[in-house]
Amino acid sequence: MIDGILIGLSTALTPGNLLFVVIGCLVGTFIGMLPGLGPMSAIALMIPVAASLDPAAGIILMAAVYYGAIFGGSTSSILINAPGVASTVATSFDGYPMAKQGKAGKALAIAAYSSFSGGVIGAILLIIAAPFLARVSLSFHSTDYFALMVLGLTAVAAFAGQGNVLKAMLMTVIGLMLSTVGTDQTQGIQRFTLGRMDLLDGVSFLLLVMATFALSEALMAILRPKDDESRLKEKEASANLGSMKISKEEIKEIAPVIGRSSILGFLIGVLPGAGATIASFLAYGTEQRLAGPEKGKLFGKGSIRGLAAPETANNAAATGSFVPLLTLGIPGSGTTAIMLGALIGYGIQPGPRLYIDNPEVFWAVIVSMWIGNIILLVLNLPLIPYIAKVLAIPARFLLPLILFFSLIGVYFVSFNTFDIQLMIIFAVAAVVLRLLDFPLAPMILGFILGGMMEENLRRALLINDDSWSFLWERELTLTILVIAGLTLFVPMLMPLYSKWRKNADRAGEGG
Amino acid sequence: MFFTNRRIGGSLLLAFCVTYAILSQKIPLLPFQANVAFHARTMPEILSIMGIGLSLAIILLPSPREFVDLAGKNWFTVLAFLVLMSFYGLTIRPFGFILASTILLGTGYWILGERKLWLLLLTSVPISVGFWALMTLGLGVYIEPLPWFLKG
Repeated sequence: MIDGILIGLSTALTPGNLLFVVIGCLVGTFIGMLPGLGPMSAIALMIPVAASLDPAAGIILMAAVYYGAIFGGSTSSILINAPGVASTVATSFDGYPMAKQGKAGKALAIAAYSSFSGGVIGAILLIIAAPFLARVSLSFHSTDYFALMVLGLTAVAAFAGQGNVLKAMLMTVIGLMLSTVGTDQTQGIQRFTLGRMDLLDGVSFLLLVMATFALSEALMAILRPKDDESRLKEKEASANLGSMKISKEEIKEIAPVIGRSSILGFLIGVLPGAGATIASFLAYGTEQRLAGPEKGKLFGKGSIRGLAAPETANNAAATGSFVPLLTLGIPGSGTTAIMLGALIGYGIQPGPRLYIDNPEVFWAVIVSMWIGNIILLVLNLPLIPYIAKVLAIPARFLLPLILFFSLIGVYFVSFNTFDIQLMIIFAVAAVVLRLLDFPLAPMILGFILGGMMEENLRRALLINDDSWSFLWERELTLTILVIAGLTLFVPMLMPLYSKWRKNADRAGEGG
Repeated sequence: MFFTNRRIGGSLLLAFCVTYAILSQKIPLLPFQANVAFHARTMPEILSIMGIGLSLAIILLPSPREFVDLAGKNWFTVLAFLVLMSFYGLTIRPFGFILASTILLGTGYWILGERKLWLLLLTSVPISVGFWALMTLGLGVYIEPLPWFLKG
């Protein structure tokens, strides 16, 4: 492990890679701060740049952008009550009231220290968990991988929230369908190309991500009428932030919260599909309950505990979500799904072999998380008053620029103008689906895993003489599939069960 | 009203899944593949069944009464941007990167309400030229900068 950390340090601490961490953190903060643009859009916008770098530098850049975007999302949550990212919604519960009380600087400092602690503790846990899990997963067969991918996809659907499970499942299937467009990997047969040469290589992952996130988010912002309130908020952002100092008592109060939320956030982040949003809400709820009746009442009114808990948990979860990506090659969230796509683009297959074949990438990512968190603390925090000015840039300049960067980001990779038109079609479809409240992240996850899932299923059938019996004959495969089934059906059946319990109780009282 | 957000979305995706299912039957198979368990159509067929089943479930199961609010949104502005982006796709080669990008950015700012010509030019031309220089001179990715009538 020590050797690994040294490899990571020697890769991540080269002047070039260090510069990418700094740039990534700043760019990520800048993009994450823009309401509506989250880490997925930030990473998507960075892919064309990362594609021209070597794999370690590219992944370091994207990881830094990821952290920066989460940090940036917290800033807009605190300053203008407009979370740029879903995972920082809980931050605004207490961060914005603090800002209204004239303690914006303090709130930003607590958010930064909490994010830093969550990220660093998460990275320590990642160092312990990842190599262990990677070694275990070396014994996995293609049948187990197929089952694991099913688990990853069902978990995403199951965590979509009550009433959204079916929608998330359908969107996952749509993503899987899109992944089958193009020439079949093994037999060279054209599928769904509609006779067009442009589709022989399938739909580009970058195109789909850019269209469904960056482009459609910009179009959604154009679609929404700009109200006076948001103009007011822009002005608020440039107002005085106040002192950034935190007292000893305050540190004492939030230290245990940070410890608990880091572990909780990391564990939730490791689960495929759970992600930083669920972690932040769970940590907030847990701390509210643990705070007792008196301090609990302050939650939602500017409690520093209520601010520290979700901020710590979302960063720890962001780190935790790298565990399934780096060790099993299965992304735990939409953001890590984009990173998986980028790694595959480099010709690197994340999974247990990554630890052995490309240790410099594996360890550089882990070490760069520490460095990224340090940079966020020492560089971004003092710069926040200046970076916050971005919130005052008029949308009439910002939105066309986002569209421009999205379009040329895709064009510069393929140099095919057909891709621009295809991107517009996908963006329109994404806007319609957003308006109808259909989630897009499961589609990206399905798209990324589609090719691998088909390949593992084909291999599993080949090994088993065309028999589907591997689904129930191999114990590990069966166990994973059972867990996948439980993950999917338990949340679906829970509301029915509680309804049945209520009816039974009522009948009992009546009788 | 039957057509809630959920059901409209479900119906649109059902249409997509049915089209996908029909097209999946047009994937050519080699003669020896007729009786093998896994071929180029296997995954698309499984996905078609799942997609159609899930879309039908979304349409037919009880749905929350949520309806998309179409009023008060900037539909024409979005439409103008879609046309503008499509125009960019068509002109980036014949017009060259700098002119096409300047038109995209300048028109984009104008559509969103900026009317000062000097500001339109100041915020579009340097970005187009700067980005071209960064890509071509900085990263070595050649992009044709000039329109067809100025090429040597």
